[in-house]
Amino acid sequence: MARWLRALLVVVGVAALFAIPRVTGNEYVLALGVSFATFAVLSGGLNLVYGYTGLLSFAQVGFFGIGGYTAALLVTERGWSLWAGAAAGGVLAALVGLVVGYSSLRLSRHAFAIVSLSFALLCLIVARDWVSLTRGAMGIPGLPIPAMDLPGGLRWRLAQPRDFYYLTVGFAVVAQAAIYLVVSSRLGRAMRAIKLNEPLAQSQGINPLSYKLLAIALSALLAGIVGGFFVFYLTIVDPSIFDFYYTETMLIMVIIGGPGSFWGVLGSTAVLAALPDLLRFTTDLRMVLYGVVLIAAVLLFPDGVGGWLRRRRIARWRRPRVAPP
Amino acid sequence: MDLSFCLQLLLNGVVIGVIYALVAMGLSLIFGVLEIVNFAHGEFYMLGAMLAYFLTMNAGLGYWATILVVTAVAMGLGYVLYEALLGSLHGEGFERSILLTLGLSMVLQNGAVFVFTTTPKMMQTPYSYSNVSLGDLRVSVMRLLALGLGLLAFGALYLILYRTRVGKAMRGVAQSRDAALMVGIDPRAVSRLAVAIGIGLSGLAGAALAPVYAVHPLMGFSFVFKAFAIIIIGGLGNIAGAAITAVGLGILESFVGGFFPLVMVDALAFTSMIAILLLRPQGLFGRGVRV
Repeated sequence: MARWLRALLVVVGVAALFAIPRVTGNEYVLALGVSFATFAVLSGGLNLVYGYTGLLSFAQVGFFGIGGYTAALLVTERGWSLWAGAAAGGVLAALVGLVVGYSSLRLSRHAFAIVSLSFALLCLIVARDWVSLTRGAMGIPGLPIPAMDLPGGLRWRLAQPRDFYYLTVGFAVVAQAAIYLVVSSRLGRAMRAIKLNEPLAQSQGINPLSYKLLAIALSALLAGIVGGFFVFYLTIVDPSIFDFYYTETMLIMVIIGGPGSFWGVLGSTAVLAALPDLLRFTTDLRMVLYGVVLIAAVLLFPDGVGGWLRRRRIARWRRPRVAPP
Repeated sequence: MDLSFCLQLLLNGVVIGVIYALVAMGLSLIFGVLEIVNFAHGEFYMLGAMLAYFLTMNAGLGYWATILVVTAVAMGLGYVLYEALLGSLHGEGFERSILLTLGLSMVLQNGAVFVFTTTPKMMQTPYSYSNVSLGDLRVSVMRLLALGLGLLAFGALYLILYRTRVGKAMRGVAQSRDAALMVGIDPRAVSRLAVAIGIGLSGLAGAALAPVYAVHPLMGFSFVFKAFAIIIIGGLGNIAGAAITAVGLGILESFVGGFFPLVMVDALAFTSMIAILLLRPQGLFGRGVRV
């Protein structure tokens, strides 16, 4: 696809996303939009870590929840603004991500996978049991309607679902742009080189650890910020923000979309964010179904839609231009 | 500090540590031989406990028959797991094996929630309310039986690994898959057995602990998270290291739980894991003596 055409499509797509609340005030559509935007940030971050850098991470949900709890506590107890609270949540998540990544990556990426899972479970347990800080299983209900000071002396009260739609979609666009900039730059090429062949990348003067940590920290920062926004949308934060459901959904989005494929993961996120509502007939069996989908995808379709498209494109390049006589 | 209280904590810690060890040794064995981290390992612990509950309460089986049946069924499940899923993965990426076993864990765990609901169940056995008194010390018979079963399984695993040909083959494959193949060891047969033993140990642990703690579908989830920490602390793939670490962690947790709030107990395994990774990344017992 020509470059300008792709840029045009992106501009039209973003404009269409922002136009939706003007066309329909339907809260259901807006809720789907918030869910899509939130998951787009999460799956984009996971794609950066797993798809591009090759580190399977289960810690994303931990960063998401840390951002949520930090923002909620700072806003309710310290009277910070939502901006500051969410930013602090993102920074804290990134710092935690650096600790988890640095400690385990010195050993191996196997250790990283295990430690990241343990970390996510630990977050859930701490949120439940450290009652004096997190108020335990009941969580912090009734988060206030946040207000933001905009440039020009305006004050934006996020009272309506539509306001949160603008906020999360706007942030998702920023986050996707940041991820796109990273993966299409020198940094992204170095990350892919590390995933494909780490010793070879090292022999070219790339220090794998710093790129891996960069991917983890960036994805943690984005997940933490979006977590801060998301809990104010829910108006409550409780230990279920660390639920494994988020991890599983993110993973399936990345695997089906194709690890290492920016547009593939974004597309599968859009489809799968709408899907839970199509699967509503069976809330209890939904996670079983997700498990089956994950097993089937790993066994039959490991490169996802993005990988399939890439293979097709390469096959087209290899086709001779001139038909043989 | 009261001496008998401390002894009580020590004993409880040893019991839970031995059960941790059963789960963690299975996990470590599977990692050592197949280079696969079985994320569904805790679900087999849960299934073992569930099966024990139903055999005892609904089918009216005795305690020992239940233990035997559960262990046999779990080993059978291990065979099926290897043949159906893990066997097709050979040499094809560590990440895929994790995603695969994670998917399996989702299916088993949520399937169990769907079938049995999340209500915890207490398993009653003829010995449920009997205690043994040793001076000031009072220990429930169920805990002592769990301890005995764990030690028995330790012994059996040791004998298999170090006194049989197949155990030697298993250690060989764990050291070097290619070299084992070259001297005529079939890695598939060895891997199949390793998975069966690993899952069998996990099922046995579930059955042994079912009468001590409540049985519910999410029990495997929090349990396996400690098993992961244990195998990292003990050195990935090092079975003896996993066993020692497990018992140590059980005792430590029991003492911390006796004097500090609950959240410290839960965080203990994780923080020790991070500390070990920072100070001694190869684990306390390294990889040199693995399997």
